[in-house]
Amino acid sequence: SVAEIRAGFTAIKANIQSRDPIRSLSILSHPHSLHKVKSSDRCCITHHLFSFYVDKVFKHCRTEDSFVNRKISSIANSFLSLRRRLGQCHEQNNCVCGEESTEKFKQILANYEGLNVTSAAMKSLGELDILLDWMEKSH
Amino acid sequence: DALLPAPQSISILSTNMKHFLTWSPVIVQGATVRYSVEFQGEYEREHANGSWIPISECSLTTATVCNITQDISATVAYKLRVRAELGATRSPWGTTKGFFNSTMTSLTPPLLRVVADGHHLLVELADMGPSFQFRVLYWKKGQEGRVQQKVMKEVNSVVHLDTMEAGAEYCVKAQTHVEAINRSSSFSPTQCVRAQGDKSMWLV
Repeated sequence: SVAEIRAGFTAIKANIQSRDPIRSLSILSHPHSLHKVKSSDRCCITHHLFSFYVDKVFKHCRTEDSFVNRKISSIANSFLSLRRRLGQCHEQNNCVCGEESTEKFKQILANYEGLNVTSAAMKSLGELDILLDWMEKSH
Repeated sequence: DALLPAPQSISILSTNMKHFLTWSPVIVQGATVRYSVEFQGEYEREHANGSWIPISECSLTTATVCNITQDISATVAYKLRVRAELGATRSPWGTTKGFFNSTMTSLTPPLLRVVADGHHLLVELADMGPSFQFRVLYWKKGQEGRVQQKVMKEVNSVVHLDTMEAGAEYCVKAQTHVEAINRSSSFSPTQCVRAQGDKSMWLV
């Protein structure tokens, strides 16, 4: 559940964010905040972002700290189970991708690919509260 | 390494969302064998090259049980493995047969105490952790068709259920519910208490 992800992230947030040297950039919020996404596009953007984190981010976040690695595993596995639930909406076509969410997600990928992979992954993980806040506010 | 056999009888005991890995000790005469435990979730299996993650509290432990609750936190399929270590010698890994998912945990009925405080029907429930909700059913004895319900997400004190009629008997039972796995326990045994006072007093 989102609460489990939030709990896991809170436990390692300071550690992860301290590994992100590039403070001036944002992966999720540049140039526009997630909060600008239309409600009709929310399911699609959420589904895209879950896949983004599962397929691109978590695997590049392994650290030398066993506790951090365990919490990242907990978050990643919770993402998988939530993505599966979201997938059911996708299959029932309740998760249509409009032009705006497609554009928004392209921007996020461009932000991500603009950095070297480890920095981009650590920054994305450090911005997880942005995603969680948006999900809790909009869902 | 082949000299040290892998731990056997590896199993997971899971009750009320508390999960423990257990195994049989590896016996080496005159020596203290230690064990290390690792886990692998669906994410590690499918997206991280089948990697395994050590549980530091159960690294080089002499115990033959490991609390894996903190790490089995998502509702996906997990595998666990344990090996024996004696000095520099390490046994092969012993791995759980099949997968474990927290949806498989066994749920026991809640512990509750029902109190008649004068005309007040009170219930006290033992706390079982943040994952648990409680569904309490209560009714006036003889009116089993008019059962009332209260759902509680947190239990940190005595809860007032109802104001009872003088001298009447009221019964209560409860079950737990875990939203994360969408399952409920069976009901606790029913407990009945009698309200203070005498019915005839009401007829005067």
